[in-house]
This record gives sequence, C-alpha cells and structure tokens, in this order.
Amino acid sequence: MIVGEQKPLAEIKNIVAPYSKILILGCGTCVKTCFAGGEDEVATLASALRLSMKKDGREIKIDELTVERQCEDEFLRQAASNISGSEAVLSLACGAGVQMVADRFKKTPALPGVNTTFIGILEKQGLFTEKCLGCGDCVLDRFAGICPVTCCSKKLLNGPCGGSQNGKCEVNSDIECAWQNIIDRYKALGQMDRLTAYYPARDWRNSSAGGLRKLVREDHVI
Amino acid sequence: MSIPEQIKFKPKITVFHCFNAFSDPSLVSNGNFEVKSVKMACSSLTREVFLLRAFESGADAVVVLVCPVGQCDYLQGNIRAARRVARMKKLVDEIGIDGKRLNIYNVTRGDKSAVAEIIQKTVSDLAVLGPNPAA
Amino acid sequence: MNGSRLKQILSSGKFAVTAECGPPRGANTEVVRKKASFLKDCADAVNVTDNQTAIVRMSSLAACAHLMQMGIEPVLQMVTRDRNRIALQSDIMGAYSLGIRNILCLTGDHQTFGSQPDALNVFDIDSMNLLHAVRTMREVGTDMSGYKLDVAPRMFIGAAANPFADPFEYRVIRLAKKIAAGAEFIQTQCIYDMKRFKEWIKMAREQGLTEKVHILAGVTPLKSAGMAKYMAAKVPGMIVPEFLIKRMEGVPKEKAAEEGMKICLETIQEVRQIPEIHGVHIMAIEWEEKVQEIVKAAGLFPRPQPV
Repeated sequence: MIVGEQKPLAEIKNIVAPYSKILILGCGTCVKTCFAGGEDEVATLASALRLSMKKDGREIKIDELTVERQCEDEFLRQAASNISGSEAVLSLACGAGVQMVADRFKKTPALPGVNTTFIGILEKQGLFTEKCLGCGDCVLDRFAGICPVTCCSKKLLNGPCGGSQNGKCEVNSDIECAWQNIIDRYKALGQMDRLTAYYPARDWRNSSAGGLRKLVREDHVI
Repeated sequence: MSIPEQIKFKPKITVFHCFNAFSDPSLVSNGNFEVKSVKMACSSLTREVFLLRAFESGADAVVVLVCPVGQCDYLQGNIRAARRVARMKKLVDEIGIDGKRLNIYNVTRGDKSAVAEIIQKTVSDLAVLGPNPAA
Repeated sequence: MNGSRLKQILSSGKFAVTAECGPPRGANTEVVRKKASFLKDCADAVNVTDNQTAIVRMSSLAACAHLMQMGIEPVLQMVTRDRNRIALQSDIMGAYSLGIRNILCLTGDHQTFGSQPDALNVFDIDSMNLLHAVRTMREVGTDMSGYKLDVAPRMFIGAAANPFADPFEYRVIRLAKKIAAGAEFIQTQCIYDMKRFKEWIKMAREQGLTEKVHILAGVTPLKSAGMAKYMAAKVPGMIVPEFLIKRMEGVPKEKAAEEGMKICLETIQEVRQIPEIHGVHIMAIEWEEKVQEIVKAAGLFPRPQPV
C-alpha cells in the first residue's frame, strides 16, 4: 500500500488559513489503512481544526467526505457537489489523490493534508515499513525476495558495504542491513552462489530518473 | 464535595466509561459543576473524534474511565484506549487548549469513591486550567 | 606501466607505504600543502579522501593536483555517493589529464553521518561498478556507454576492504568480487583486531585471492583512550577490542598518544610478518605530522626512490 502520515495540525492550519469554508476529503483505500486519511481521520481533523480556529477566535466551516479512492474518477466524481460548495479542498489522500483532485476540479484549490511517505507493508499492527521504490525494473528474483534498491541505504547491488555490523545498517541501528537479510535468505534457499555474481550498473530509465512515467494498456483504451 | 474558591465558572466534565463498569458518574454531580456521562459498550470504543467533539460541545475536561489492566472484558480494550488517549492529549495540546484537559484512568468496576475522587481532581485541575477556550 | 610509482613499488615486490591526507573544510591551499609536506618523503603515494564521512571539503581532485605540484604521488579517492556515472567518468578523465595515475574506488559513508545530512544522495552505481568502469577505460578504452575514448585513462586501480564488517564470511567473497571487477590493490580498514584480520587473510589465501592483488594493511594510531572508545562504539564497521581500550586507559593521559604509537608500530611489525601483505596504509587522522615518525620507527625509511 501507499503509506502516508497526516501533516502536523499547525502546518494544516497554515495551509487552510486563507479559507473559511473547506472540504476535508478522505480516501478510503491506502491512507485509510495507515490511519492518515480515512473517515475517522477526516472526522478527527475536522473537529481539531474547528476547535483550534475557535480558540483563535476564527470560524471555519468544514464539510467532511470520504470517497473510496481519490485516484479514480469513478469514485472522485462523487465529491463534485461537496467540492463546488467549498472554497478549497483539503485532501487527505496520497500525493496522487491530491493531484487528481486538482486536475479534476480546476476551479477549486486542492491542498495536501498528508505527507506521502512510501510504498510499504503493515509489518505488524501500528508498524509500517517501506518495501518498494517503484524503480520500474524488479530484481527481486535475484535477491532472494529482498529489495536492495529500497532496503539498502546505498542501493547496493553487489553486497553489503563496510558499515554493516551485527545485522544493522550504518545509517541507523533501527534499520536492518538489507544485505545481511539477503545473505541469510540465500543460505536458507541454498542460493549462496548468487553472492558471487557481479551485477552491472543499473539502467535507471524505467525509474523516476527517466522522466514522468506512463503506462498504457491498449486493450483498455477506447 | 468541596469546591475550590477560585473557580469562577461552572466546569463541565464529560466522562466516557463502560456501561458495565459503573452506574452513572453524573450521580456525583452537584450545583457547582456538571458531569455528563457517556456510556460505551467498552471504553475502547471511544473513537478519537468523540473526545474532540465533547470539547466542541463545551466540555472543559474529558475523562475516560477504563477497567484496570487485565480486567477488560475485551482483553486489551483498556490498553488500546490508553494509547489513543495519549495520542489525543498531544493533539489537544496542538489545538491549543491544553492536553491536561483530557485524561484516562483505570478504575475497578463499581468503585464509586474512586470515581468521585477522579471528578474532584478534575474539578481542582480545572481551577488552574480555567474554562475551555474553544467552547 | 602507467606511470604510477605505487604500482612500480608493489610490482617489484617491495613493501609499500601509503598515507592519507584529508582536504580542508575550505579552499585553503596552505592546509593541503602543510599536511602533504609531512607525508612527502615517507609515503610512496598519498590517498586524498573524497568528502570523507560525508563532510563537505575541498575536492579530492583539486587537492590531488596540489600534491602533484609538490612532487607527491596522489591516490584519488572517489565515492559514488555524490556523483552519478556521468560526473564520475568525467572526473576520472580530468584526473588522468592532470597526471593522476592511482584511484581508489569507494561507495562512501552515508550522508546522514556528515555535515549536510539534508542532502540527496546519488548511488547511481556502486564501488564495484566503478571499479569495472575504470578497468574498462584502461583495458578496452571505452567509457561506460561503450564509446571509444580519445586517450582513455589508464589508472592503477584500488579498492577498500573491511574485514571487520559483517557478515564476516562474506567479506572474502566481496574481496573476490572487487578483484574480478578490476581492483589491483586493496587498502583495508584500520586494523585493531589482528585475530580477525589474520583469519580474513587466511581465507583470502585459501581462495587464491592474495596472489591476484596487493593488499595494504590499514593502520591508524590511537591518540587517546577516548578515541579508542569512540571508534569502537561509533564508527560503523570498526572493531577495537576491549583489551586495547584497557591498554590505552591503563596509561596516564599524557602518555596515551605514545601508547597509541606503540600499538600502531606493533601492528605494522605484525602485518609485515604476513607474506600476503604488500604494504601499509597509514591513516593518521588529523595527525599527519606523526607519519614520518611511524615510518622511521617501523624501519620503513627511507622510501625507495622513483626509477
């Protein structure tokens, strides 16, 4: 899923400061799962903003709505009337959702309420961990199902750097050394021979380095 | 129950509690302060927004009463509630109305005197905190 | 021969001495000259670090050029943290055009350790890819795209090895990969854990690696017990055994530096007994003035003169 985190209230207050009537628009898919922008977060943020503004002697009218997915027009269009009744939309979706709102409703400012952080997993209740950079050229078959491009702080394809100690990354002892994990898994899978292979310099054209990416599925385009 | 002299307003306190743990804490209400009781199937069902809406509705303080650790009918409901209230205290601080207005306590079911003490403490705290500035 | 004196010394079977010079945090040429003057006659070549520990400093390439003006042979250190393949190859060509003949290919410390942790890193390629690229320039005469270069750099190629990082059993595999990618000489992380170092050398010997590469043992004199403890606790991939920390703590503060020198000399004597070790790399961090004393006391002075 795409993982995000709600911006601090003070920053959100600054962002919505020019407006007195806004819609807080939640997204019921990824950001709901990570407690950043589903119905509950929309309601809590709306209440917090109202209280905070009132304390400052200001009044703000807040409309609340959550759609299934802001990144698909089929769902987003359900927000049309709420949006037309608001001076601005504070979107609690990921960056894709915010931009979809901006593009779909050109007359209304679309504002971000969430910092989109990474593509990751729910490692355990309350803990989300990054797993994929969306590099566009998956190499997981060669690295025992552990992504060195994402999980190694230096994106190393040719084994651990000199900073790996006791299974931890040199950057932070909270981070596991991806290469220690890869090697442990090679052992478990009987693939230790892969360790000696040389991986040439990567072609980054399929990553964000190649400019804006688009995917066209001709069979679905009419 | 005695009321500190310096209180110049009639404090409103909203209490969330399990319906099977207590009778009505508003029983300890008197003419000098007002206690509003919100009965939940389990206090762990107290969503974050309920706490904030209580403040929006004019509460000067919000109290969540949960069973002692190990005595929750829903296993970890009380522990989870404590985590969420801790997070919400920070948000109430960020809102600018002081996180000290929101508290959670473990109380053995039926312990009326403990509840009375908590209410008394809340009333005393409010003497310092003053009325909810966003009410 | 590519004109590298270091290569000449190593190829002729002589025991080499290299030292390290960290460029200043600023554009002060005098600092470079002063540091380098301490190293001039006592090292066969001097490594110039590339923004080491990710602290922004005068560029390695520029400092190398200053050293050359002083008649000192530099080893250009190059990390893949800050520049992509375009910039790296361009700098290698520039370095060669200035007469630089030695390069040490590194990945580099992560920028979060440094003076500007808010920087974006690059890591377009890793040290292994860089080794491969520099060798391809020399052997095939092309850049990474396969384009035939008009005068391709012909560098003497080095890499680092850290026998003290984990997983230990992988460290020899990594050495093998670096040799296969193009490394002709290796400078190791500073050695305090001699037992582990010898074990690593033994594994390398058993795999026939020591015949394919010149290994220079890294040493760093300890200045104080505090430095020993700091290195043990804070420097990633570094092992300083407890008994050495105790030994440093066991002498009065004013004698600590002397004790550190003793330990350093003992380490040098011990590595010289290992036939597979072809030299020492002395990294006297902000203590360059001590290098000559170390080289003399170790009986490695004077250095062989260039042919």
